[in-house]
Amino acid sequence: MTTTRRPWWKTGLGLLFTALMLFPVYWMLNVSLTQTGDLRRDPPHVFPVAPTFEGYEAVFRQQLPNLGTSLLLGLGCVALTLLIAAPAGYAIALLRLRGRGPLNFLLLVAQMIPGVVMAMGFYAIYVRLDLLNTLGGLIVADSTVAVPFAVLLFTAFMSGIPREMTEAARIDGAGVWRVFRSIVLPMSRNPILTVSLFAFLWAWSDFIFASTLNRNGDLIPITLGIYHYIGNNTTQWNAIMATAVVASIPAAVLLVVAQRYVAAGVTAGAVKD
Amino acid sequence: MTTISTRLGSAGSPGRDGSTPPEVRRTAPLRRVRSTQWAALAFALPLLAYLLVFYAFPLYRNIDLSVHDYNVRAFVQGNAEFVGLDVFRDVLTSATFPTAVRNTLIFVLVSLVFQYATGLALAVFFRTSFRLSAVLRGMFLVPWLLPLIVSASTWSWMLNGDNGIVNSALQAFGIGQINWLTDPSLAIWSVTIANIWLGIPFNLVILYSGLQNIPGDVYEAASLDGANAWQQFWRITFPLLRPVSAITLLLGFVYTLKVVDVIWVMTTGGPANASTTLAVWSYREAFGTGQPDFSPAAAVGNILILVALAIGLVYVQLQRRQEKQP
Amino acid sequence: MKRIPMPVRVLGLVGAASVALTACSSGSDGSDGSDGASAGGDTTFTWWDPYPQHEDGSDWDKRVQACGEEAGVTIERTAYDTTALTNQALLSAQEGTSPDIILIDNPAVSTLADTGMLTTMDELGFDTSAFDENLLDAGVVDGDTYGIPIGANTLALYYNKAILDAAGVDPATITDWATLDDALAKVAAAGRTGITFAGINTEEGSFQFLPWFWGAGADLRQLDSPEAVQALQLWTDWLDKGYAQQSAITNSQNTTWEEFLTGDFAFAENGTWQVNSAAEAGFETGYIQLPAMDGGGAPAPTGGEFIVAPVQEDTDRYETTSQIIECMTTTDGLVQTAETFAYYIPSTAEGQEALLAEHPELDTWVGAVQDAKGRTSDDLGTDYPLISEQLWTAVQKALSGAATPQDALTEAQTAAESATS
Repeated sequence: MTTTRRPWWKTGLGLLFTALMLFPVYWMLNVSLTQTGDLRRDPPHVFPVAPTFEGYEAVFRQQLPNLGTSLLLGLGCVALTLLIAAPAGYAIALLRLRGRGPLNFLLLVAQMIPGVVMAMGFYAIYVRLDLLNTLGGLIVADSTVAVPFAVLLFTAFMSGIPREMTEAARIDGAGVWRVFRSIVLPMSRNPILTVSLFAFLWAWSDFIFASTLNRNGDLIPITLGIYHYIGNNTTQWNAIMATAVVASIPAAVLLVVAQRYVAAGVTAGAVKD
Repeated sequence: MTTISTRLGSAGSPGRDGSTPPEVRRTAPLRRVRSTQWAALAFALPLLAYLLVFYAFPLYRNIDLSVHDYNVRAFVQGNAEFVGLDVFRDVLTSATFPTAVRNTLIFVLVSLVFQYATGLALAVFFRTSFRLSAVLRGMFLVPWLLPLIVSASTWSWMLNGDNGIVNSALQAFGIGQINWLTDPSLAIWSVTIANIWLGIPFNLVILYSGLQNIPGDVYEAASLDGANAWQQFWRITFPLLRPVSAITLLLGFVYTLKVVDVIWVMTTGGPANASTTLAVWSYREAFGTGQPDFSPAAAVGNILILVALAIGLVYVQLQRRQEKQP
Repeated sequence: MKRIPMPVRVLGLVGAASVALTACSSGSDGSDGSDGASAGGDTTFTWWDPYPQHEDGSDWDKRVQACGEEAGVTIERTAYDTTALTNQALLSAQEGTSPDIILIDNPAVSTLADTGMLTTMDELGFDTSAFDENLLDAGVVDGDTYGIPIGANTLALYYNKAILDAAGVDPATITDWATLDDALAKVAAAGRTGITFAGINTEEGSFQFLPWFWGAGADLRQLDSPEAVQALQLWTDWLDKGYAQQSAITNSQNTTWEEFLTGDFAFAENGTWQVNSAAEAGFETGYIQLPAMDGGGAPAPTGGEFIVAPVQEDTDRYETTSQIIECMTTTDGLVQTAETFAYYIPSTAEGQEALLAEHPELDTWVGAVQDAKGRTSDDLGTDYPLISEQLWTAVQKALSGAATPQDALTEAQTAAESATS
């Protein structure tokens, strides 16, 4: 954090790259303010020349609860993923679980199964467990995208925790759980935040599980809410894009906050000689 | 120097236990080891149960779908005929298969290369922090939180041959109309471009974390020795990043293989299969026509899993080989 | 514990906010039909339809609930998007959790019926004689009727009057393909684009192509007949001559309409559902029936949903189901449906008269619907989706230049034959 030798040109270049990368996002904003009659104009307006706010009106009238649901989903998914993956990473990396090699491979294989296959399988399971149209059920389904990856991340990180620290604690009489809680977890702030980020984002943008498993719920996530604007033969594009814009704002805020902490802890942490 | 390299080696690669500390304790009492194993099992139990219920079952169903003849009636009534590998044979000899394989190869390989390269370049760019770097890095993740239907639709709007902004911009430079999505020879490249855009955030985050694991002293020492930025990258950054790169590429491969939404929204695999990959083909068989064909869809899905499995095995082999190195 | 770190605090705030947002919704929603889990679950009937744009509390939803109340039950309504509904229906049938009533797109009825998951109208004790045969036919499999059309819409040719006037074209003179081509040539000479349509790689593409296919006299069982080739040649020529744009290859019907609304296109092939939008466009519009090759109106395919009743374990429910269906398909009911969905034409002669009494300007559409054909009629049933897939693929190949119309259709016919054998 001390290299301020060349700040400005880097900032400028950074801004340029970000602008390029986010141009499609700007375009999304542009479309959200465009009237239906101008949507397919050739050549297209780079700025919304005759803006309409009907898309946003529709969103604020109809989509806010869905936004809340998506947030709940994201947070729930994060919690569940951490609950399952962190202890598992600990077991594999530091407790030297027997069979960890095959387990790691299984986790890789788990990520290879296409989403559609998973969704159809879940439908069958959920019908029997009566978990259809429940938020909890959807949280579990969304977490299946994040858990294998999270375990991989935790295992990788926890393998790097020096043995001396955990062994020292064990010698002092601390149990396995104590070591986990008081030494490993605090040191794992970095992967915890990274995993939370991934889990949140994956749950936030999921559509296939929500569509198959949660259609009739009282609470539907924003991705399903978008389909509200896709009728049988007609589609309200400005409303769809407006939904996406509004949905992006809280998530973007969370992202920027989390990013500061994802890598900040490494040099400040204990992984140093 | 050895401590750094071993620590780095272990931090980046999953499945490795890290080097054993010099004072290997072979005298750990057996009781202690066994109780640790039980504890390990207890910690891993939620994961194991989770894997069994939520992955094993859908996988089993998919295999079941692909070895029976599930026409629509059999799907509902549950009395499908067992046909062994017939469905696979039909799939492999169908006219669409070679096209799908070719498109999948292009889509996956090109996406991977560019996503990785761009992610790496950006990660290196952001490595040394500067004003606004944290905010900008966060903003790079915004594409990720958009629902896929939105990002894919935005790209198809931008790439529209007749009224898209990309063509308007190109026309300003005197380039004629390019039919990004409707030209059979261009369609697969257009969806690949959109997919690269979607994959950059993931690569950026992981590679950036990997870079952060390389202590700054190494670079300072190298500068003192007179190495310039390019040399530093090739001699220090890239080799030390190898385990992280390997896992990034592997995961990227697995994820890109599964991609359906982007292509479906942009071109539905058209025109006439020009942008149909194996995943899109599988999806179309199951959901894209009026007559769902679940068995071929499941068969193609299984082929996809097998391909990913093969690459996974290659990865594990490479891992083992690296582990054997001092 | 130490001071709570910043990210945790942010998360806490966000969590609180999200709970507040969702709580807000369930409070303000008032009576939504999904609270139908009343005491004695037998009084809740489940209903699926493909109209997510009509949410709880809309006119359509209120009608559905009203029909339920009339039959003495509460209806729990779920809206899916139409592309997912068929598969969802199949999945639920597999698990034995079918809803009581489904509104499903008419070409899918035979697919569902073939699996044995639907009851016939006879089993329900419902009399179907009042319904127009050409519309009912889409739901007939092996002589049994599996559902009732709640209305039909179809395609016509909308035109932009301003452009036509400027180009010197009188829409009344467009009676066959030759005159249409002339009109397009005049429009092109005046510097505008002639026509836009949807050639997308899905059922919508087939839907839009069929009026031309049938208008040439071709038959779906013979995709490579000379007539079929002529139809495909028509579209391909339009693209080659610049009367239509390349984007037609990936256009959905909605996109086609958006293009038309920019005011740059003379003609757009679209359906009854855009009548209101056409009236509100920034320019004067009109519509004519799609011309057949040698004159007259081309038979257009019917859109519109059927109301079907999946098989239930508890057969006592059928009586109530039948009552609900009857309530939805009374003459008044059909007219109301017609108005809710931007002019579905009612499926009975009485209903059509009643609609015309209130909206005489719809006579072109009523005529078009009377001339229309169901896609799964002519005993095509479950073969139709397989043939359709080949048809739209052939259209894509020809339009994109990957194959000539003749080659594309020959390939399609071979593939269709092997798929339906």
